[in-house]
Amino acid sequence: MMAINTRLPAWLGFNHGGDRYAYASDEHFGMMQADHVPDVWVRTTCGYCSVGCGILLGVKDGKAVTGRGDPDHPVNQGRLCPKGQSEHLTLSADGRLLRPTVDGDEVTWDHALNVMTKRMSLLLKEHGPESVAIISTGQLVTEEFYALGKLARLGLGVAHYDGNTTLCMASAVSGYKMTLGSDGPPGAYADLEHADCIVLFGANIADNHPLLAPRVLENKTATVIVVDPRVTKTAMFADQHLAIKARSDIALLNGIIHILIAEDRLDLDYVHAHCDGFDELREHVSTCTPSKTAAACGITVQQLQETARAIGNAKAATLAWTMGVNHSVQGAETSALIVTLAAITGNMGKPGASPFSITGQCNAMGTRETGFTASMPGYRAYDNANDRLELARLWNIDESRLPKERGRAYPDIISGITEGLIKAVWIIGTNPVVSFPNRDELEYALSRLDLLVVQDGFHTPTTALAHIALPTAIWGEKDGTFTNSERRVSRVRKAVEPPGEARTDFDIFLTLAERLNVRNELFPGWVTPEDAFVEWTRVSKGRLCDYSGITYDRIDAAGGVQWPCPQHKDIPLGGTARLYSDGRVPTASGNVQLVRITPREIADKPRVGYPYLLNTGRTVEHWHTRTKTGRVEILDRLAPTGWIEMSPTDADELRVLSGQLVKVTSRRGTIEEIPVRVTATIRAGEVFIPFHFDDMCANRLTVAEFDPISREPNYKQCAVAIAKA
Amino acid sequence: MTLSLDMFDTPVQLLPKPRGLDGITELGPERLALEPGQQYRFSFNMGACIGCHSCEVACAEQNGLPPEVTWRKVGEVEGGSFPTTKRFHLSLACNHCLEPACLQGCPTGAYTKLDNGIVKHHADDCIGCQYCTWNCPYSVPAFQPDRRIVTKCDMCQPRLESRGTSACVDACPTHAIGIEVVDVAAWRLDHHEADGPNMPPSELTISTTRIILPDDMPLETFAISDHDLKLEHPHWPLVWVTLLTQMAMGAIGSTLLVGVERHGAIVAFLAASIALPASLLHLGRPVMAWKALRGLRRSWLSREVLFFGLLAAATSIAVVAPSTTTAAVALAMGVAGVYSSGRLYVVPGRPAWNTPLTIWAFLLSGAATGPLLAMTVTGRDHPLQLLSAAALVAQMVVLATNLIRLKNNPAREYRGSYRLMTQHCNRLLEARVGLIILGLLLVFNAPAFVAMAVVLVAEGLGRYLFFVSVVPLSTPGGFFTGR
Repeated sequence: MMAINTRLPAWLGFNHGGDRYAYASDEHFGMMQADHVPDVWVRTTCGYCSVGCGILLGVKDGKAVTGRGDPDHPVNQGRLCPKGQSEHLTLSADGRLLRPTVDGDEVTWDHALNVMTKRMSLLLKEHGPESVAIISTGQLVTEEFYALGKLARLGLGVAHYDGNTTLCMASAVSGYKMTLGSDGPPGAYADLEHADCIVLFGANIADNHPLLAPRVLENKTATVIVVDPRVTKTAMFADQHLAIKARSDIALLNGIIHILIAEDRLDLDYVHAHCDGFDELREHVSTCTPSKTAAACGITVQQLQETARAIGNAKAATLAWTMGVNHSVQGAETSALIVTLAAITGNMGKPGASPFSITGQCNAMGTRETGFTASMPGYRAYDNANDRLELARLWNIDESRLPKERGRAYPDIISGITEGLIKAVWIIGTNPVVSFPNRDELEYALSRLDLLVVQDGFHTPTTALAHIALPTAIWGEKDGTFTNSERRVSRVRKAVEPPGEARTDFDIFLTLAERLNVRNELFPGWVTPEDAFVEWTRVSKGRLCDYSGITYDRIDAAGGVQWPCPQHKDIPLGGTARLYSDGRVPTASGNVQLVRITPREIADKPRVGYPYLLNTGRTVEHWHTRTKTGRVEILDRLAPTGWIEMSPTDADELRVLSGQLVKVTSRRGTIEEIPVRVTATIRAGEVFIPFHFDDMCANRLTVAEFDPISREPNYKQCAVAIAKA
Repeated sequence: MTLSLDMFDTPVQLLPKPRGLDGITELGPERLALEPGQQYRFSFNMGACIGCHSCEVACAEQNGLPPEVTWRKVGEVEGGSFPTTKRFHLSLACNHCLEPACLQGCPTGAYTKLDNGIVKHHADDCIGCQYCTWNCPYSVPAFQPDRRIVTKCDMCQPRLESRGTSACVDACPTHAIGIEVVDVAAWRLDHHEADGPNMPPSELTISTTRIILPDDMPLETFAISDHDLKLEHPHWPLVWVTLLTQMAMGAIGSTLLVGVERHGAIVAFLAASIALPASLLHLGRPVMAWKALRGLRRSWLSREVLFFGLLAAATSIAVVAPSTTTAAVALAMGVAGVYSSGRLYVVPGRPAWNTPLTIWAFLLSGAATGPLLAMTVTGRDHPLQLLSAAALVAQMVVLATNLIRLKNNPAREYRGSYRLMTQHCNRLLEARVGLIILGLLLVFNAPAFVAMAVVLVAEGLGRYLFFVSVVPLSTPGGFFTGR
């Protein structure tokens, strides 16, 4: 009856619902949807990618009702991409984990953590520290990463702890270490404005880091060169697009260096003063002639020469790269080669001039700096005696308690499970079932575990496999800091309460430490994330990533502070814009170590039976495995399923049209049905599938082949067969 | 839970007023001041757009739109061949045209063109008839199911007045969207800048959106959404309303042929008077249906409503006082109504309908079904059998002519409509043709009510195909979002 009373008048049309669509004025943003006018705006930083845009979250009656770009944030100056624009909706999305579960039953936190520590301790006792591993993420706040590192290595004492950053930025980290002696992106976003030459290697920023695109577009004087096998949205605003063949980036870089040396377009002063290995490099690239290079890359000699000259003649060149470079078995080497190119042209540490890795996740940088995975906190090396002693002293512990080595990296943890060596894994804030290459093998590995603990904000295909699932607060429900690609530390704030019994990761780590009786030792007097931050600033003091001059108040005053920011030094309020301005780098010799790299062939290359080369990547509407964006309806509607991009030539051969379904198969697995998008933006013989989707999962096809240095997966090239579905 | 500033470990700063950014379209009301003869318009710089969809999301946020409604949409076009392929995006909302087709067709006057040029839709006056959604060549107005009315972009009018920008302009990371002032008279003379790739020609409505094309625009492009050929809404109430009114016209006309008598008038009256309430089912706001009479001066929909109302009235008079005069008056109302009904589909925004064949098809449906209805009650077969049969044959000719017309035009809206008819709906099309042939046989060899049932189903199928197979003109969309 109620339904008739309320619905019938609406159905008859007495009321068109205009009252729900009224407008009202907000004191800062003017007229907006009346229901969205908040009581308070909470200043925070976006939780998706590493660009690190400032967001104002509008909160009304304890709910996040709206969001706007922060007009005063130095990174985005009020603008946002569609994910950021709609990020407040993730806070009311369904699909949240609300209560801890053990073996599928809802339990109390006490019980869940009891079972977790009991089972883990038992395995550790029985099989040793080698039997337990932790896989975390790039999306916690820095304070949580710092706490987790201590808990993992000193509290639980696990041998293997890595993050999904290994699927993402590990190659850039390794490339920096190989050449500059330490991780740490040398450049800043402002360089994109100051440069007179910008080269984007495998970086489709228009889709994946949209708020960097304006900086490139608004720089009217720069020659913009985009190196990408596809005609991406980013390629459209390039002056020169090099549509190179897959994995020919090393050949291209060697060829560019060859031309620069031959035409004497180097910064020889910088080379002589600050580089080691130039003669060997010259020798190495001597055979990389323009004609050979152009043929290897599938571009013209003229394009190659113009590119080399644009870089060589530039007063300031920014050489930026992302996943197109990193997601390769030679990702570390390619990254190092880009740094090498930057160094020999003197593009280091000057406004507009630097090698610059654009990071993936919102706080991948935070875990790289404070985490305890590939290095010890503060970029300290496991095998460096001084680093070990210093860290032990800072923490007041015996040096022998620090691990001797990093343990297994992410892919080696997975293979360790398959081999039966690792019995328990604790996964935090990541969804390997969708994101890890070769899904079948990954699922097999996870099914073998004695204990799988998954800690996440949402139900995911990975939490579905968990023995113990721990519900966490997500972005917008907790406090801390993120560090973006340009080393800028920004505040992340709690705007609303987490739902159900979800807790912050920080709280979970502290509670676990208490159960392990290490809370007072590891986290003395800690209550809030700021306590962790204060300790971290002390621990980072004197390191390259020096946070010692950063406080929460300073971040607020500056809108974000770039490290290094040593205490008591004459550093601008906003920190240090770029590294290595004095030419010295933290290698043993203080000089850039130039690298000599030889390209290797693609292992799983197209052949009879699997004639197409599959490339994978992202789209602007979605983030990672769609745990959040798939639940934001406006984003989901823009790209609700996966698709496969295919050239008109291949589509003709397969007799398929745009919108029709095909079946895609590799040696490892199959996507049964996926719609075709016929487009001339891709080379004939190559196809592209976005990796975000659980169904139509690109990682059923990808090859579990990893960079020997960085351990990053080779997501970008594998052979597939395609047939009409 | 109550929120207080104390919840945060540092006090939340309330913002200073957002400041303008250098080089951004931060017009401010003063720069947007209009001189007489000027209006506002959107500008869109295609070379600057990176296709990020921020404008679309910001628009939804600003206006609180449900996810299925978009007032601004981003489409994509592509041209050329690898590796020099070009791809561009088109972010478009309402074009606030000089000759707004939405306004001209609206039966209730729910649209007005404001002094500042904004084509404003007034929710209070909208009855949800959706005629504007057929009229607009850009498919801008959209039916919003939760409100049961049509809604569309008003250039963020409340915000424009106070701050000089719209949500989409403010949200665009690359400043590709702007709001500017245009001289109306000059634009009317030369509006070629409103033309963009794979868009309807601007002269249909004199769109005001200025599209800045990049220099490297390929000559030939296709829209990424072109593959998305889908059936339109069947509008079931309209299928029956149109058929019943046409049958009423045919029935009352038939009585004139065989001698007017009450039974013939009664069935015509019944058909017309079932059609009228049935037409309400089509409306989002049935109780506001009376407002549809407001637009008699410009809207064929208003005229259709008027004449069908008069048809019902005239047939009722013919029931009370059957005579050649009363029946002739009713027939005149019926023909006028069916003609108006047909005319309202003859719009440039729906090329498959935009032909006199539409009106002929409507009249012939009446001529095929009406005599059979009259036959069932009058028992007078001659010459009604012949009339119905002739109408059915003519209807086949109209159908064939239209299919040829659609097939021979390479434009997507024609060829697409042909494909929908002959590929997606080939079974239904065959069934319709088969039923017409069967009807032709039955007209002469079976009881009238049997023939009538068969012909009615045939024409019902035809009308269903008419509604679902139309491919509207519109702007390019995305791979998934379609046109």
